[in-house]
Amino acid sequence: MQILGACRYNFEMSVALGIVVGTTNSVAAIATPTGVEFILGPRGERVHPSVVAFPSSGGVVVGADAKRYRLTEPHHVIHSAKRFIGQNIRAPLVQLAMTGVRYRVEEGPNQQPIVVVRDRRMTMPEISSNVLLHLKRCAERQLGTPIKDAVVTVPANFTDGQRQATKEAGRLAGLDVMRLINEPTAAALAYGFGRDRQQVICVFDFGGGTFDVSILRLNGEVFEVLASEGDFFLGGDDLDRALGEVLAAECNRILRVDPRPHAALMMKLMMGAEAIKMHLSENDAAEGEIDGLDMPGAQGSRLPFQITRKQFEDLIAGYVNRTCEVTKQVLLTAGIDARSVSEILCVGGSTRIPLVRQRIAEVFRKEPNTKINPDEVVAQGAAIQAGSLVGNLSAGTGMGARDAVATTAHSMLGGGGNVVLPQQQAKRPILMDVNPATLAIQTAGGFTERLLDKNSPIPIERTRVFTTSRDNQTRVEIDCCRGEARRYTENEPLGTLVLDDLPAKPRGDLKIEVSFRVDADGILHVRASDQTTGVRQEAHLQVLGAPSAEDMPG
Amino acid sequence: MSQRTDVLLWAQRMLALTSAPPHQLLELKIDATIEQAQDAFHKIARTSHPDIHRSGLTPEELESVTLAYSRVAGAYQDFRSQRMQTSRMRPIKDATPIPIPGVTAAKPTSAPGAARPPGGQLPTLSPTGTPTSAGGGASGSMNSKALIYYRKAELALRRGDLKGALLQMKMAIAGDPQSAFLRSALTEIEAELANPK
Repeated sequence: MQILGACRYNFEMSVALGIVVGTTNSVAAIATPTGVEFILGPRGERVHPSVVAFPSSGGVVVGADAKRYRLTEPHHVIHSAKRFIGQNIRAPLVQLAMTGVRYRVEEGPNQQPIVVVRDRRMTMPEISSNVLLHLKRCAERQLGTPIKDAVVTVPANFTDGQRQATKEAGRLAGLDVMRLINEPTAAALAYGFGRDRQQVICVFDFGGGTFDVSILRLNGEVFEVLASEGDFFLGGDDLDRALGEVLAAECNRILRVDPRPHAALMMKLMMGAEAIKMHLSENDAAEGEIDGLDMPGAQGSRLPFQITRKQFEDLIAGYVNRTCEVTKQVLLTAGIDARSVSEILCVGGSTRIPLVRQRIAEVFRKEPNTKINPDEVVAQGAAIQAGSLVGNLSAGTGMGARDAVATTAHSMLGGGGNVVLPQQQAKRPILMDVNPATLAIQTAGGFTERLLDKNSPIPIERTRVFTTSRDNQTRVEIDCCRGEARRYTENEPLGTLVLDDLPAKPRGDLKIEVSFRVDADGILHVRASDQTTGVRQEAHLQVLGAPSAEDMPG
Repeated sequence: MSQRTDVLLWAQRMLALTSAPPHQLLELKIDATIEQAQDAFHKIARTSHPDIHRSGLTPEELESVTLAYSRVAGAYQDFRSQRMQTSRMRPIKDATPIPIPGVTAAKPTSAPGAARPPGGQLPTLSPTGTPTSAGGGASGSMNSKALIYYRKAELALRRGDLKGALLQMKMAIAGDPQSAFLRSALTEIEAELANPK
């Protein structure tokens, strides 16, 4: 405060991007003194498809342009990379996701999925970094200034490995990822920043690939997440696939050819399914035909379809029911009665489906807030957090952003921060996000001992003291896992920390202190030390599926 | 400048409290309610959250503030989960943390933040032996219907609504009639109803 100049908004010095890398689309924005400004693509679009194409003509194409190659070269177009990033390729759900894409995914080092396009092998962070780099370049062109700092959003249920891999993608794109924030929390921030209210809200985030629901208590500038639940493999893609399968069966029945082995055809049907789904959000029925289905031996190349909204709803009811069950669960965990939730924010494209909104209203006995623009609100929250971390938030940012949230008004600011308003330092929002999963270690007999509970506030550190179970034991292995089960093997292993060269002592005499620390990004750091000798071993867990240790900075 | 000094002093104070019970890190009385703990934690966050000191502190200072804040967050979580646990057994205020005497436990004095000595031992090189049962886990073996009602009973207890809790617990038992755990919880509630403190 003693330096007057530091309070002034300085466009050159403190621009930090807020970025949402979605399964299907990405959005980037920055906080300005009057609101939030979106980063536009080459054709002025706010929403950038998270698609990376490696066309035969050479080069790398990202965004809307890349999407065009989906029909001509489906094997060279990488989409839905978010479903693989930081995942262990051997996980059953990842194997399932692999059946839904037309590009080649193989097992790479450390069980991470690797994309193979012609003779190039790329990790998922590399694929994702192309999208981030594209956004960074668009932003630099638009703002006329180099950009380094960013806040990137992730689904609330992202694991440690997925978070590490996302940060790695940012690093590869030349960005300093100051913070990863959870998507529902970002949405809540966009909604509540500057409002200075006391209320409990629910963020229902049903996107292209993932589903998250969070309950937050807003207390002035404090945003405390009370509980968060989610389903990593549940999103609009699943709904498309459900409908796509029906179309494929129709194709088989009418055109007498099974399209399933043909990548390009299936892609066409899936795109058709997506279009039908969107149409049915606005209309009671969809009727028409999908053309250009050229198959050898087919009886024609046009597939007529006629689907009512009711039929579509029956098809997706199972998925939608699942989201409601998770919502009821998260309310119980938070200890909040559905009726005391004063606002339900719908985030993510799939909340445009009338059945989804109807079911939310049934759970809360209240209409959800659908006035916000589901695709953009998360990016606004990320931009506000980014602005807050570099210290250039003003009261106007909140008001402007909130107007945008409330009205989805178009074009906040055309060309940059040249609108000068009287500066008023805004109260910095304080985000209290939560740890998405219970973290534990293995103890004698194959059981687990919890160190950090799910839904604990982050950053957090907890320390426990353990001891040896055999006489003269000079080495202990601390197996860390993620999950609620009592049996170690029923949880997801995270990695092992080894303490060596311990003094030989009778069992139970050594005191081994184990600290679990989850930082504000939601990334786990484990430390163990022997208190008797002071032997200290500290390690960043090498998570299976994540980029390998030598790729990581520091 | 005073803001900077304040937060550094606070961090120093917190980091010195290595084996203090959760309420001390939150600077609360031992019988504070969950709501009071929440307010206390929000107040701490408003002045001491590391994010609001990013530019004002050196990296080392920021690191110690972050560590202090992380430990206080741990204390807040411990306090909350203890309260939910004790509220299951005693909805009326009584906040003495339950020390679990462990045969092979490390001495409680030596353990930073070890409000509870270890419930288990460190694994040996090759953990062997098949565990016979999952022990008295509350939610481990319950079916989903019973679990939902059990959770509702917990919520009712936290509101102080004993009668509501009794009803929910009976519903839970209807969902899982075999559960000894649920029955003992029911007995506790009935006892509580019979002679309120």
